[in-house]
Amino acid sequence: MASERDDGIDRDVLRRVGEASVLILISLADGPKHGYALIRDIKELADVELGPGTLYGALDRLERLGLIEQLPAEDRRHPYRIMAPGAAALRVHLDSLERVSAAGRLRLQLGGI
Amino acid sequence: MEESRATRLIAGALRCYPARWRRRHADEAAELATLLIRDGTPAGSIALSYLAGATREWLTPRPSRRLSTVACALLLAACSLGVSVELAASAAPAKAASTSQPHGHARCRPDLPQPAPGAVPAISHSPLALREPVHDKSC
Repeated sequence: MASERDDGIDRDVLRRVGEASVLILISLADGPKHGYALIRDIKELADVELGPGTLYGALDRLERLGLIEQLPAEDRRHPYRIMAPGAAALRVHLDSLERVSAAGRLRLQLGGI
Repeated sequence: MEESRATRLIAGALRCYPARWRRRHADEAAELATLLIRDGTPAGSIALSYLAGATREWLTPRPSRRLSTVACALLLAACSLGVSVELAASAAPAKAASTSQPHGHARCRPDLPQPAPGAVPAISHSPLALREPVHDKSC
């Protein structure tokens, strides 16, 4: 684990990108989607209403980070696809959330609350 | 009528984005807004979301903007270096001329009347001017 950290392999690059970006990556994890499909899927998945302005900001950020890519347009809609570094970053972020979540649950148990 | 008002509202919000963003996303963003309005999302909240996005877009530093900043800084540095070189070049002949005269006499102006030893300066002279005869003693 420590050696992985030293190599920077499991560095959580998604820690500072915001919730919208993480939700987009989760939504794209099962296949490419365009903006409207992303908004609908995220609403269903996490009960979060992503505004279109927030969506495009997050898509641009993720693309700049090399985590997703824009595919050729279908009609006027551009689908987006998660790339290998994006999938790896999402895995690391979800692992990190799981560790924090487990620690939180354990502390709640120990505290008897 | 209501639909065209909503369309105008969204179009107005999309115009607030930088041109680079509009070229890339504007068509798709307008279509997405139409679909969301059809689903029942108020046009006002979509427009507000786009306005907030446009603000973020303008405030986010871009590599190209950083590059242009660096280019401007380099240009400015080059200009100031050019001015410094120009100044140095124009100062060089004067310095060369001053070396032909005895040291310390370069500031002396033979055309100006020299104060007589022990003469009292005029009352209108500033304190700084009163100190000047000290330099003039070297002449």
